Amino acid sequence: MLTIKDLHARVEEKTIIKGLNLEIKPGEVHAIMGPNGAGKSTLGYVLSGRDGYEVEQGEVNFNGANLLDMEVEERAQAGLFLAFQYPVEIPGVSNMEFMKESVNAMRKARGEDELSSAEFLKMAKEACKQVNLPLDFLKRGVNEGFSGGEKKRNEIMQLIMLKPKLAILDESDSGLDVDALQVVANGVNSQRDGERSFIVVTHYQRLLDFIEPDYVHILAQGKIVKSGGPELAKEVEASGYAWLGQADEGEKA
Amino acid sequence: MSQWLAHVIERAAAVDDWLSPVRAEALAKLKEQSWPGRRTEAWRYTSLHAVENLSLPTESNAQAEAPAIKGLDAIDLVFVDGRLTSDLAALNLPEGLTIRSLTDKSDIAEQVFTQVKPSHHLFGLVNDVLATQGIVIEVAANATIERPIRVVNFATDNVESHTRVLVSLGDNAKATVIEHGSGTGHSLNTAFAEYDIADNARLEHYRFALHQGEAIHVGGSHFKLANKSRLNSTLIGYGSQLTRLDVDIIHAGEHAHAKFNNAYLLAPKEHFDLHSTIEHAMPNGTTEENARGIIGDKAKAVFNGRIHIHRDAQKTLAELNNRNLLLSRGAQINTKPELEIYADDVQCAHGATVAEIDEEALYYLLTRGIDKQKALVMLNFGFVQEMVFDMPNEALAEWLQPILKQRFEDMMERS
Ligand SMILES: Nc1ncnc2c1ncn2[C@@H]1O[C@H](COP(=O)(O)OP(=O)(O)OP(=O)(O)O)[C@@H](O)[C@H]1O
Ligand SMILES: [Mg+2]
Repeated sequence: MLTIKDLHARVEEKTIIKGLNLEIKPGEVHAIMGPNGAGKSTLGYVLSGRDGYEVEQGEVNFNGANLLDMEVEERAQAGLFLAFQYPVEIPGVSNMEFMKESVNAMRKARGEDELSSAEFLKMAKEACKQVNLPLDFLKRGVNEGFSGGEKKRNEIMQLIMLKPKLAILDESDSGLDVDALQVVANGVNSQRDGERSFIVVTHYQRLLDFIEPDYVHILAQGKIVKSGGPELAKEVEASGYAWLGQADEGEKA
Repeated sequence: MSQWLAHVIERAAAVDDWLSPVRAEALAKLKEQSWPGRRTEAWRYTSLHAVENLSLPTESNAQAEAPAIKGLDAIDLVFVDGRLTSDLAALNLPEGLTIRSLTDKSDIAEQVFTQVKPSHHLFGLVNDVLATQGIVIEVAANATIERPIRVVNFATDNVESHTRVLVSLGDNAKATVIEHGSGTGHSLNTAFAEYDIADNARLEHYRFALHQGEAIHVGGSHFKLANKSRLNSTLIGYGSQLTRLDVDIIHAGEHAHAKFNNAYLLAPKEHFDLHSTIEHAMPNGTTEENARGIIGDKAKAVFNGRIHIHRDAQKTLAELNNRNLLLSRGAQINTKPELEIYADDVQCAHGATVAEIDEEALYYLLTRGIDKQKALVMLNFGFVQEMVFDMPNEALAEWLQPILKQRFEDMMERS
């Protein structure tokens, strides 16, 4: 699905990703944890192709294609989805028109017919229900005035409607109450079909109780410093990242 | 001398109704006016060439029905080419609401007609002397009128018309008034409305100036706000051959709050001129104005935003921003802020910018697979659509949104 080899990337003048390797196979769920400022969100932006995020070195292969050669929208059309840590508000564009445009762009890319307004509405209503957002959200501006938790649920609603091959969830659990966490986790789990893959960026074990990962990676200072199974997340929960600092000093010495 | 104006003055002399003494004063002023040219400040960027020697019939027999708006249960009052065609006696009005024709003498009509002064440029005076057809809406103190009151004003083809709307909201009253104007033929229509809003009253107001083609439309909405009153107004305008609107918001009492959103969408070759005047005469008032324009090929928009804060108007908060998007190199905007601030303890912001695309919003749309071209169109239209989404009346917003979107898409195609 996704192979990242020795990735180095910078934002403006600062190199943030420094030699990152990762291999994700179809159907797998990988959790990425790591201290604040480690580069987790940056990795998502680099993979999605955000302007200003420059790859200095390395390769990324996505289902046989060179991901780094593609435009942002082409990456999305090829099946890459990023659920944002901080989704942007777009007051003058309604969720409805935005999602209809988006769903149809993906369908077109997959060689499917565009949905009629009625078909789209039916699908949108179901997705709304699944993430527990009231229907009038569709009429409002994209994320406009949504609470933190509502924005996260909106991202998951998009995930459900767009059916990507690989979804990167950047802290989709932060700021959620217990019920909303369940809603988000159920939304993600409903999309697991043994083919689709997920990268779940989180600070907390509690999300991983609901979305069980196959692998857990620790990202620190721009690279993956440790990988393991679900038990690694529990270790982090218990003892934090203090051990990272020591390892780092050891490296310098 | 303009032949049209000479003819107006001639016709005015023949008008004889209960407002004649008031009209006579206006006529005297009108006679002193010279024909506005490039050096007349209020008409600097808007040529009146198309009106100067205009000669159109002043009556028609046209009939028209108020366009239905889904989900809007309004009290409809209809003018066709300046004739009030609604039967006011047949209206089933809620308690606290009185609607009269301007032909019926009333103290309220006289008071509003003479005391809420429009920015009296030439056409305001023309309307003063010639608008014999009009509607007087009176909302009693403490009354809340749930059903919106809609004044529909059609201008058909080959006709000149003048209409007036006078509205009085008593203390604590609450109402929604929609001025819904349209016309596509070769016509001249002046339509002025005055609103006298008493203490603690609340007015939700809309003005849709949807004139197109050869239509010439000159008008204004003028609001006088008393203590603690509130105004929420939205104006949506097309350009037509010539559309000129003056909106005056006068804080005549303390602690009043006004919000004024406006958006204009100009198809190729249209001309639209909006003069907005915010007068803070008393302390502790707030005004927020958002003006947004999208201007098509060879179309021209004029936006003049004046904020006048009088010496006594301490603790005023006034904000005005104007953003314009030009769809082609042939599109034109003249935007001019005019700030006159005579009080020292005020907050006042006035900005005019050419709209820029929010890079983060663009990136977000792209990550959802939408092509760049389409994403830009959505964001560009979005900044006008924001004014529609901000309208408190949902039925109106839902009716207007697809109409404006269609107009925008046509403009894109032709630019
Ligand atoms: N535009 C920028 N210019 C300079 N530095 C930046 C820029 N954007 C991000 N950074 C820096 O890059 C580093 C990585 O940021 P990133 O957002 O990827 O961290 P993160 O691992 O997602 O952290 P968190 O857990 O807090 O979300 C941080 O030190 C941040 O300050
Ligand atoms: Mg982050």
